[in-house]
Amino acid sequence: MADFDVIQGNKALAYGVKLARVEVIPAYPITPQTTIIEYLAEFVANGELDAEYIHADGEHSCMAMAVGASLAGARVFTSTCSQGLAYMHECVAQAVNYRTPLLLGVADRTLGWFWSLGPDYSDIMPELNLGYLVNFAESNQEVLDMTLQLYKIAEDYRVLLPTMMSLDGFFLSYSQERVWMPDQEVVDKWLPPYKAPYPIDPTINDKFPTASIPSVMHTPMRRIYEEILQDSRTVIKEVDASFGKTFGRHYGGLVEEYKTEGAEALLVTMGSMTTAGRRAIDKLRAEGEKIGLVKLRFMRPFPDTEIREIAAKVKAIGVVDRMMLHGTRGGGAFQDVKGALYNSGVKIPLQGFVTGMGGEDIPIDDMYLMGKKVLQAAKNKRIENEVEFIEHKMPPMNEPVTIDWDEPIYPGSDGCAGCGASIIVRHLLKTLGPNTIVINPPNCGGVNYGQAVRVPWILANFAAAAAYETGVYRAMKKKGKADKVIITSFAGDGGTADIGLQSLSGAAERGEPIIWLCYDNEAYMNTGIQRSGMTPMFSATTTTPAGKVIAGKQVRKKNMEMIMAAHRIPYIATASLSYVPDLERKIKKAVEITKAGKGLAFLHVHQPCPTGWYFPENKTVEIGRLAVQTSAWQLMEIDEGNFKLNLKPKELRPIAEYLKPQGRFRHLSEGQLEFVQKDVQTEWNALLELEKRIRFPGY
Amino acid sequence: MSQDKSVIKGFVLMDMSIRGGQYVGNWRVMMPVIDEAKCVACGLCATLCPEAAIAGKPKVKPKIDMRFCKGCGVCANECPSKAIEMKTEVKK
Repeated sequence: MADFDVIQGNKALAYGVKLARVEVIPAYPITPQTTIIEYLAEFVANGELDAEYIHADGEHSCMAMAVGASLAGARVFTSTCSQGLAYMHECVAQAVNYRTPLLLGVADRTLGWFWSLGPDYSDIMPELNLGYLVNFAESNQEVLDMTLQLYKIAEDYRVLLPTMMSLDGFFLSYSQERVWMPDQEVVDKWLPPYKAPYPIDPTINDKFPTASIPSVMHTPMRRIYEEILQDSRTVIKEVDASFGKTFGRHYGGLVEEYKTEGAEALLVTMGSMTTAGRRAIDKLRAEGEKIGLVKLRFMRPFPDTEIREIAAKVKAIGVVDRMMLHGTRGGGAFQDVKGALYNSGVKIPLQGFVTGMGGEDIPIDDMYLMGKKVLQAAKNKRIENEVEFIEHKMPPMNEPVTIDWDEPIYPGSDGCAGCGASIIVRHLLKTLGPNTIVINPPNCGGVNYGQAVRVPWILANFAAAAAYETGVYRAMKKKGKADKVIITSFAGDGGTADIGLQSLSGAAERGEPIIWLCYDNEAYMNTGIQRSGMTPMFSATTTTPAGKVIAGKQVRKKNMEMIMAAHRIPYIATASLSYVPDLERKIKKAVEITKAGKGLAFLHVHQPCPTGWYFPENKTVEIGRLAVQTSAWQLMEIDEGNFKLNLKPKELRPIAEYLKPQGRFRHLSEGQLEFVQKDVQTEWNALLELEKRIRFPGY
Repeated sequence: MSQDKSVIKGFVLMDMSIRGGQYVGNWRVMMPVIDEAKCVACGLCATLCPEAAIAGKPKVKPKIDMRFCKGCGVCANECPSKAIEMKTEVKK
């Protein structure tokens, strides 16, 4: 017997993926998608789902892993949103002609320009036209059901195209709703395992998909892929009907109509806003107005024939858009509806609305107002403005706290109590002085302290902070100001060692005289403690939970110092917030090196994080000190090739003293503890050996 | 080509001179209390305060701005002369 649970949209999607017995899951965190991959990590770590879970080093790689796995014949799921989806874009496009029927979950969030964690469709909009089947879910139940349906549609050999599912960030991703859970056995019968027609497996197959074709084939192929997309409508309807027969819920193909009988005016909506739309229609109907609603369930293939049929029966249509096609005066859905009607002979007023951007709510009252406007247009047979922006007044803001303050960072930030990052920001800016430009790839430090400093603090795209720095430096150099300003990053460990590594490596190799400061809290803390390349071995994070089958991270932390030393940059140093004079001295040295134009200075600062490492917040500095005394972290520098350990305890304290107070290592067995102790000792001995040689090899 | 700043529309700027935080003192559960007799004015609490809420430097007795202290207790934990104690705060 099927059962229900009250769960978030992200969990509904994760359950759908589990029920579909997905085989490969590449994952990379980004709010508000992250909990999807966290739930999946838990399923895998506890042995509830037998899947390959891959911790990707960035979204571009993440999608590439998905395409690769699907090419090799696996059923694949990955998810992202916003900036991450934009970063994936190239690989997203590639999935189409490789005929990889994977599912890409998109927990919609604004695409910057202006950044926001809140949802709108500006992220998924640029991805619509690549050849995917794109579904927009309205409720958490629809999220789960469509996960199963989309695999069945995509894996049908008449389709064999990748699919995308949009679930609104926050409104669905983090909202609890009742969701009926189908039984695994029923799902297994309804959705058989994926059998790729031509997997890239030379042991069973001598044909494989190719990406490069002669120019003359391109136009015909575009026609053929368009035909496949258009023909997929039949499969979508078939699968929906069959789903309804098996599970008792169906959604009605590409559009869903609500109270359209006898309607003179229509509102066209998509996604979670539809629910508010329904309530507004109820209200208007109760007042005797003849108005209905059409929900666009699929944006691609676009339900143009359905829209034409419905439009022929009404006098005016209003399209509510949560996305803006800049330069066309209107929103994406509006332009699509307009395009569908132009050659159809249906000539009725078409009103576009753009609202709810950046995560702003679209309340029932607004839907009611829009409904009224469309009814007016139906009556007048014309519209005032083709597109209207439904805007709201800014609520009054708190007066900024004005105080006399000598510090380079104002107090009163959003940072957690006991946050170590702010200690680093403060001493960094204090040492660098006012003529500093901070380039900040997304991290918790930027979110919390970027608003509270007295120097330009520029948000850079995650994978390219070193490139932003380079650009700023070169412009300063051209304007003859290179020696007057200091350019530094304030990057996290993910922005340094994972997604930001390529850009950083490029800047190091070019010898850009800039500072790279990495504050290392050993996980993606901004999105909520996901494992990064810098997470130490065995540490539990939300994507490497201490599960029954797999407990914690299974591989070692990257050695960034050695990676940077391979670039032979003039200055590399590690520091800790618990040793402030040492930290400040190293920052000064970095300034000296970069001002002399010698090249990139790399500072790697250890930052204990009470929230992410699960220790009491008064122990931030103590834990940092223990890390150095146990050699879980070493203070060292490579100054133009001269290697030096700055702090050498006579005898290392046992590693347990550092690990035991931290919740992330609570699950460690005696054997694992011994392993870590041995590992630390080996590394420490190696460093002592290295110091004896003085010159770092390769310099 | 116009280079008159007044014609620019929609350029959202951050003014460095009026940045500032919020009063986060209400996050606090425990409050640090300095024992003036034990304090040797080393300045370490001000150096390590994660909120930058302590004004002080070597040879100057520290002053905690309670409007901003989140009560994390790092100062009490690090004070070499054990001059800071975390006490339960009675809120008025």
